[in-house]
Amino acid sequence: MGRISPSNILLLIFTLIAACAWAFPLYWAIVTSLKPEPEVVGSLSFWPQTFDISSYAFALFDTNLVRWYINSIGTSVLITGIVIMISMMCGYALSQLVFPGRRVLFLVVLASFMVPSQALVVSQFVLMHKFGMVNTWGGIILPQVIIPVVVIVYKQFFDSVPRELREAAKLDGCGEFQILFKLYLPLNWGITAALSIITFIMSWNNFLWPFLVTTSEEMMTVTVGITQVGDSFGVQYARDMAVAVMAAMPVAVAYLVFQRRVTQAIMLSSGIKG
Amino acid sequence: MSGVTLSNIKKAFGPVEVIHDVNISIEQGEFVVFVGPSGCGKSTLLRMIAGLEETTSGVIDIEGQDVTHQEAARRGVSMVFQSYALYPHLTVFDNMAFSLQIARRPKDEIRAKVEEAARILQLDQHLDRKPSQLSGGQRQRVAIGRAIVRQPKVFLFDEPLSNLDAELRVQMRMEISRLHNQIGATMIYVTHDQVEAMTLADKIVVLKSGVVQQIGSPLDLYDNPDNQFVAGFIGSPKMNFLTGTVAKSNSGASDTVNIRLDEPPNSIVSLTLSGPVPKVGTAVTLGIRPENVETGDVTDADGHAAELTLKTEFTEELGGVSYVHSLTESGARVTIERRSDRNHIAQDHISALLPTRHLFLFDADGARLR
Ligand SMILES: Nc1ncnc2c1ncn2[C@@H]1O[C@H](COP(=O)(O)OP(=O)(O)OP(=O)(O)O)[C@@H](O)[C@H]1O
Ligand SMILES: [Mg+2]
Repeated sequence: MGRISPSNILLLIFTLIAACAWAFPLYWAIVTSLKPEPEVVGSLSFWPQTFDISSYAFALFDTNLVRWYINSIGTSVLITGIVIMISMMCGYALSQLVFPGRRVLFLVVLASFMVPSQALVVSQFVLMHKFGMVNTWGGIILPQVIIPVVVIVYKQFFDSVPRELREAAKLDGCGEFQILFKLYLPLNWGITAALSIITFIMSWNNFLWPFLVTTSEEMMTVTVGITQVGDSFGVQYARDMAVAVMAAMPVAVAYLVFQRRVTQAIMLSSGIKG
Repeated sequence: MSGVTLSNIKKAFGPVEVIHDVNISIEQGEFVVFVGPSGCGKSTLLRMIAGLEETTSGVIDIEGQDVTHQEAARRGVSMVFQSYALYPHLTVFDNMAFSLQIARRPKDEIRAKVEEAARILQLDQHLDRKPSQLSGGQRQRVAIGRAIVRQPKVFLFDEPLSNLDAELRVQMRMEISRLHNQIGATMIYVTHDQVEAMTLADKIVVLKSGVVQQIGSPLDLYDNPDNQFVAGFIGSPKMNFLTGTVAKSNSGASDTVNIRLDEPPNSIVSLTLSGPVPKVGTAVTLGIRPENVETGDVTDADGHAAELTLKTEFTEELGGVSYVHSLTESGARVTIERRSDRNHIAQDHISALLPTRHLFLFDADGARLR
């Protein structure tokens, strides 16, 4: 702290440039979405000569965007809820309960954490197809609710709760569910919040699976839906950008609001990976 | 009425047996202290009574009911942990009310019981605080309060005071004693602090490596230890031990033995035993408490006391009491306690007498020869 040394100034300049490079595409998308289409293709300017929000009006009223929003919110909320619920219970069982096969089960969870979800996509699709769940909410949600890393993070945190607390709760008459919900969960609200937010963002951003499992526009989520916009109307940059900006908005807002929690969660899960 | 009865209790962790055939019977309302060195199984035994640890074999009985395989919560026991184990996310009130809330007791009853406990423990002012906002002593009191509100048949304490500073420890010790008088429940208390054991207990159980060494009242253990381990464990500073061999033994009308200490000449003691006398040549150990070693111009009144020349190593003078740590000529350690007379303790060499009436005799295995 205190004096700014030349090397610090250099570092500052460098990070500023890097930040600009990161931010530029975002800026460009927003600026483009606010230009009328002829201006987009006609000239190269960093600021709209005329502001035109008709692209947004188009996105809202002439596409299924609202429907896709609802689908995205619905599936993401459900996925987040289910992921947190089952991961918490699974993490608790792996961490605290004594049962035969516990170690093996934990190794299985660890192993499945090593498998990239993309590798499972084909077999999952076949499975969902056989269940007749293509183009249903169940089909979109179910394959996404298994996130081993959340289980592992919960297990780690539950492992570090002192044994005496659990024993005191047992003597006070708690069963396992009460110990989980009245003791372990309240003691780990912070981590639950962080994991919920990051799960929500991940499922909102998920593209591959919803893209495969939905073919009707009615069932699409935002990320899949926006790919349809270009197709049906030809390439219209301003409109595409407006749709993209609106699709990204909730996640961006969530990120800004919960910035600290998100970084915490990313650090937790990558800390375990590393 | 019987409070807690342990019959033939054994505990093994995997292949390792850590509690070997323990039998203890505790009266209802009695204050019993388990003492013993670290790792002897005190906590394990307590946790088995609490139901936190499964019992490998044997029977645990609480007020006439076999609870060996019963769930912890149904045994009617409360436990106070060394680490307090307060629920960090709950207020003092909710910590104490927790068990009653789990049992779905009516709200007014819960409030009444918690307030009563808080009053007894002087916690009325702190009911809305979180545990992190309390001092160590206050946390300890909350932990005790949490135990009280359940109105258990048996209170279990596992080294509850070991995280407190010396002064607070004395104070809490008195409070626990007062609490015991007030509510009269059976209490079992684990400690390795023998002052706590001596002051609190109606009855002390001395454990070593999972085996009960002796059970008795504090003074009983002090005056009449069954073996060398108990003799050495109870009392501070420790009892002095000197080795020797039996030089002469008479059995007959009076069973006397002469014991030659492994010290230079003139150190033969003659003791009268009531039990069988050991054979000539047997290795034995003599024990004497520091306060019973006589120094100075004492004369060998009854003619049996051993005389030793001691070399002073260092002295601890605490004012009212002084401890002289010294070595015999053969190198055995002898501690001498002096209450009033500080005259002889500054000398490099002390001649000391070991009066026979204060000597304890143990065989090579540590068993007491009486
Ligand atoms: N869960 C366990 N698994 C295996 N061994 C154990 C377990 N708990 C305790 N032990 C062993 O049992 C023995 C008794 O332990 P315990 O905790 O009862 O000792 P303690 O008398 O309470 O000691 P301290 O005064 O240090 O608390 C020790 O040798 C310990 O290593
Ligand atoms: Mg212990």
